Amino acid sequence: MTLAFLTAWAGAVPGYMTPLLLASIGLILCERAGVLNLGIEGIMAGAAMAGAVAALAGLQPARALAAGTGAGLLVSVPFIIAVVVFRAPMIPAGLALVAIGLGASGALGRAAAHKNFAGLGNVGFPEALTGLPLVGRMLFAQDAVVYLALIVAGRASFVLFRTRAGLQLRAVGEDPATADASGVDVQLHQLAACIVGCALIGLAGAYLSVVGSRTWTEGMVAGRGWIALALVVFAQWSPLRAIAGAAVFASADALIPRLQTLGVDVPVYLLSMLPYVLTIGVLVLFAALGWHRQGEPGHLGRAYIRQDR
Amino acid sequence: MTPDPASRLRRRLLGAAAALGLVALSQPLAAPGAAALELSGEPRIAFIYAATARDGGWNEALDNARLRVEAELGVTIPTVESVPEEATALKNAIDLLIRRGFNVIVGTTYGYSEGILEAAQENPGVAFVNASGATNSDNLEGFYVRSYEAWYLAGMAAASVSETGRVGILGGFPVGVVNWDVNAFALGAQAVNPEIDVIAVYTNSWWDPVREGAVTRAMLDQGADVIANNLSSSSPFVAAEEAGAKSIGFQLDMSQHAPNGHLTSVVFNWDQHLLPTLAALKDGTWEPNPWGAFPSMADGVVALSPVSDLVPAEVRALIEETADAIKAGTFSPFDGPIHAQDGRVVIPEGTRIDDAGLWGMDFLVRGVTGTLN
Repeated sequence: MTLAFLTAWAGAVPGYMTPLLLASIGLILCERAGVLNLGIEGIMAGAAMAGAVAALAGLQPARALAAGTGAGLLVSVPFIIAVVVFRAPMIPAGLALVAIGLGASGALGRAAAHKNFAGLGNVGFPEALTGLPLVGRMLFAQDAVVYLALIVAGRASFVLFRTRAGLQLRAVGEDPATADASGVDVQLHQLAACIVGCALIGLAGAYLSVVGSRTWTEGMVAGRGWIALALVVFAQWSPLRAIAGAAVFASADALIPRLQTLGVDVPVYLLSMLPYVLTIGVLVLFAALGWHRQGEPGHLGRAYIRQDR
Repeated sequence: MTPDPASRLRRRLLGAAAALGLVALSQPLAAPGAAALELSGEPRIAFIYAATARDGGWNEALDNARLRVEAELGVTIPTVESVPEEATALKNAIDLLIRRGFNVIVGTTYGYSEGILEAAQENPGVAFVNASGATNSDNLEGFYVRSYEAWYLAGMAAASVSETGRVGILGGFPVGVVNWDVNAFALGAQAVNPEIDVIAVYTNSWWDPVREGAVTRAMLDQGADVIANNLSSSSPFVAAEEAGAKSIGFQLDMSQHAPNGHLTSVVFNWDQHLLPTLAALKDGTWEPNPWGAFPSMADGVVALSPVSDLVPAEVRALIEETADAIKAGTFSPFDGPIHAQDGRVVIPEGTRIDDAGLWGMDFLVRGVTGTLN
């Protein structure tokens, strides 16, 4: 492998990594508060569509991303109300959200399908930096959201593990009855976590259309939401480990087409399984080491109703 | 004594099973006649799509044909959209149309092959045609087109403008209908520049614009300066334009997606197949080909959109000439000798590939960088 190949490969990784990272941080926030959000694929679909519609309407890329983020949040509203306010079962509510998001985006985005728009360009670092061998393109020839995602990961980790609000949030996900007894408002914390989390998932979806493809078609999220769900487990519910996990998944994703263009016989289907294989591997490894339930919130996926305490 | 609900249910099930049995028994009695299909009345046509009709690619090319048929025949042709590629859902949609009096059903995807065959057997007085369908019967005809003929010409255009001597082509899944396009493109490119390096990448998806854009950028990184897109999303054109590279489209004229670098597009004109089919149906002379209809460039069903001035005039003349030879039948892109990537002869000298060889094409030709996976 030549240096040029490695430089180009490394340069392509952040583009693959950013939507996965944003989506998984969003999921981690929801799940740390005990809310299992299986609707991610639907949220991303709605956001990708809205981002494209906004960009086609002439909005600046940054505003189109914001519009997509807002749309992702809007799509999530029924889910958030159902599971946080009415404490509906999270798994069916999440799966319903997938159907709603995919269906609504397909129907509403019809007029926007297959139209090109400008999209978000790279941050203008000087040639001296972007031209560096190996790391130049990876570190400096990227769009602003790539850097934003890393900052978000750092912030999320700080809030979760270094602040009182984060402690309370994790307490709600771990043992809502105890948190409730000690005066923490369970629903309020879940609500806040879901709003921020779903907004981040929306940003991830909008990134796919506004930055990734600069065009929108139905079904373009193409399972990336499910990969983010696996990534959360792989990262053991830690935003910082999610950076590493997203980088690993994205490296494989970016490598496949590059090997294909060289004519290497890549086992595409095996590599596509990689996120899931690695996730199972991590689970098995931690189980074997005796580190059970490393970061998994104790009350994940179960509704908390005070009378049941 | 009134029977309990369970036994009532059982009796109803037995009745249904008996009815099914009768149907099964009567099936062989209906001899497979070679006679032309007699429609129950004036043709009333309806289209069924697996997704939205105006999808910017495959469906839209068929839908354009629907509009042209409407204009030509002065009829209204309704569409049913987003019918899943699954027999039960498809048959429900077909039943509804037949009950409303439609007697010519146009399916639009390979995924309808099984369901539409079942519907055709259940409705012998109704005519069925299915684009890229793999099933045929007395009243059902699948149809596709020899798209490789135009892809060969597109390859000539690509090689003539490449400065790096390297061009790329994106395909969906490595199946016969895609492989023949990729191979014909490579052979056409080699006809203009024998040293040309053709990179072929299969995305293993029909719909993933994010991946298609990424694959395009990977090809551009490898030095390709012409990108041919055998898929329908516009993201390869966006990536190519951004890098100042040239591009070639498929299914529809894609020039709007690449105003600077668009060379030409391989376009479908399905109305050129549907109009004669419908005329035959109206006259009562339609006899489905038991192997499906397989029209060609000579029938006008596939063509090149106007070739850009970026392509040198002498190459444009050569493309013209080659197109005439293909239409006249004196030349085919798959006239031997054709070598596979590993050098073995797959089509011997002096022979031309037959239709079975086309549908089963499972090799890439010599000079293509890429693998079938």
